[in-house]
Amino acid sequence: MSVTEAPDLKSRLEPYFAFVGPLVMILMILLFMGVMEPARYFRISNLNIILLDAALYMPMAMAMTFVITQRGIDLSIGSVAALTAILMAFLVKGYGFPAWLGVLSAIAIGALLGLVNGLVITKFRVPDLIGTLAMDLVYRGFALVLAKGLVLARFPELITGIGRGQIPGFVPIPVVIGIATFIAGAIVLRNTYFGRYTIAIGSNPEAAEMTGIAVDRHRVYAYVLMGAAAGLAGVMLTGKLNAIQATSAPYFNLHVIAAVVVGGTSLFGGRASMIGSFAGVLLLSMMINALVTLRIEFFWQSVASGVVIISSVALYTWLQKKDRDGSGGLITALRTPDNARLLRLAGGLGAALILFLILGFLFAGQTVPSG
Amino acid sequence: MSQASEPIVSMRQITKRFGGVTALNDVDLDARAGEVLAIVGDNGAGKSTLIKILTGVFQPTSGTIELDGEALAMNSHADAIERGIDAVYQTLALADHLDPAANLFLGSELTKSVLGIRFLDNRKMRSEAERVLADRLGVHLKSMDAETSSLSGGQRQAVAIARAVYNRNLRILVMDEPTAALGPQETARTLKLIEVLREQGLAIILISHSLDDVFAVSDRIQVMRRGRRVGTVVTKETNRQEVLGMIVGAGEMAQEAM
Ligand SMILES: Nc1ncnc2c1ncn2[C@@H]1O[C@H](COP(=O)(O)OP(=O)(O)OP(=O)(O)O)[C@@H](O)[C@H]1O
Ligand SMILES: [Mg+2]
Repeated sequence: MSVTEAPDLKSRLEPYFAFVGPLVMILMILLFMGVMEPARYFRISNLNIILLDAALYMPMAMAMTFVITQRGIDLSIGSVAALTAILMAFLVKGYGFPAWLGVLSAIAIGALLGLVNGLVITKFRVPDLIGTLAMDLVYRGFALVLAKGLVLARFPELITGIGRGQIPGFVPIPVVIGIATFIAGAIVLRNTYFGRYTIAIGSNPEAAEMTGIAVDRHRVYAYVLMGAAAGLAGVMLTGKLNAIQATSAPYFNLHVIAAVVVGGTSLFGGRASMIGSFAGVLLLSMMINALVTLRIEFFWQSVASGVVIISSVALYTWLQKKDRDGSGGLITALRTPDNARLLRLAGGLGAALILFLILGFLFAGQTVPSG
Repeated sequence: MSQASEPIVSMRQITKRFGGVTALNDVDLDARAGEVLAIVGDNGAGKSTLIKILTGVFQPTSGTIELDGEALAMNSHADAIERGIDAVYQTLALADHLDPAANLFLGSELTKSVLGIRFLDNRKMRSEAERVLADRLGVHLKSMDAETSSLSGGQRQAVAIARAVYNRNLRILVMDEPTAALGPQETARTLKLIEVLREQGLAIILISHSLDDVFAVSDRIQVMRRGRRVGTVVTKETNRQEVLGMIVGAGEMAQEAM
């Protein structure tokens, strides 16, 4: 029995990796910015900007934690947010709905769109990746059809309050909303059937089915929750900008997935960390704010999100690999025949590209300015 | 000994066909309280099919099942559980990322009501799980917080068994090749669990390819061959040679000898 002591300790610590990972990275950003741009990064007003940005993603990251824990994915949330926000704008501005009803309707519409996603995945058996990607096109298309190129602006105070209101001497209202959704999410994950079955489904779908859990129904629930959270995010975004258009929120899905995954929730299912997702959201907002503070071009954000996803998934997979015997480091790995072949392929492609570039410069003619 | 007592469950003339394949042909089975009945036979002999009929997973093409002398008709595994018949399979239905207590109660969680809303009662489930594991199986896990994936094969088996045993109605426990994936030490532990449960008066049906295990714990051995029951022997009154002969088929044995 004594042999099992060591892994016991490791498995005891494992749940905390999730939180420690992003925390270490947050500290690294703080240190880095402390050296590079302390004056501009550590202002109260900048802290507020970071929190406001993070708050927008909190409800979605909470819901996405459930979806991903069930081995699902939702790539449609940006379009769901945009479409619900536009529908809310029509209801409030076009039909004179009171603001609070507009907000509730937006959340309900989001939930409904999530329900459609869930049914497409569980009833039509379309794999989640393709299903939600296709629905993303559908929802975005509807948003474009409805709003054309219009920017819908100037909303009632309630909506701007939800998006950027400030509790005097305290944090912004959206931050309170975001943290509240996370607390609710943590309770649901630990203390309800839905939370328990979410982990069971992600951990071992066959076992979940065998013990009589309604697997498909609980998967639909997760997508409904995701849709409702995206609807809420649509309201928050509208309020924050006091404007909305059909092309808003293009990068929500990857940003939210990055936040959840960097927080230690496993893309392979079964392992959920609410607090990790929270830390992940903060980390991403701090990182993007740091890029802005350093005056790095906006489009690098997309590069950064992608790199965060790949590196954190790879890192957690590596951490969770139980057996590292005989791996013997990078050099031995490169010596295996398969990897040697891949290396040759990479070398060949690189050589071909270099050849093309050289030929291109040799035979270069007059350049044609595109502008 | 237990031979004298009445069987809890009797299966009579069970036949099961899957399309053209006759998986079971006119098979009988008796299980008694406080007794371990081993079922042995070559691959495809029909062992799993037979116990899946007993646990309500399959319905027989023909034949009858009697529980306490009354005819028993089951439409699902849930029906069987309700009547006190449950099974533990080799591929344990455990969710590795949940702790042992959550696994033990998976699908039938204990709840409490807070402000009129049903919440899971994690504390109660944990203490109940600890109690069942300790009292019924004599198993003490080092940590009830650790994920089930960190448990040894035998401990995982104990969690799966505890799930079946937690049902107070349980009278017949079927185990389909429980030791197939276990090393010698964990196998010994699992056999010990089987003995503990027999002491508590359960009827145990153990399917195994290991004659070592079968001779170690069983009271009677039922031999299956090509969908038929070759015979049932009392473990104390037989030996490996005889059982092996029945499994392979005495006729073929003779042919090989020539
Ligand atoms: N669902 C099914 N559909 C069709 N045929 C089946 C089905 N289940 C079992 N069979 C057939 O019934 C026969 C008996 O299978 P069974 O699984 O009961 O054997 P077994 O004795 O448990 O074998 P093993 O020792 O390999 O587990 C086999 O010929 C098998 O192919
Ligand atoms: Mg079998």
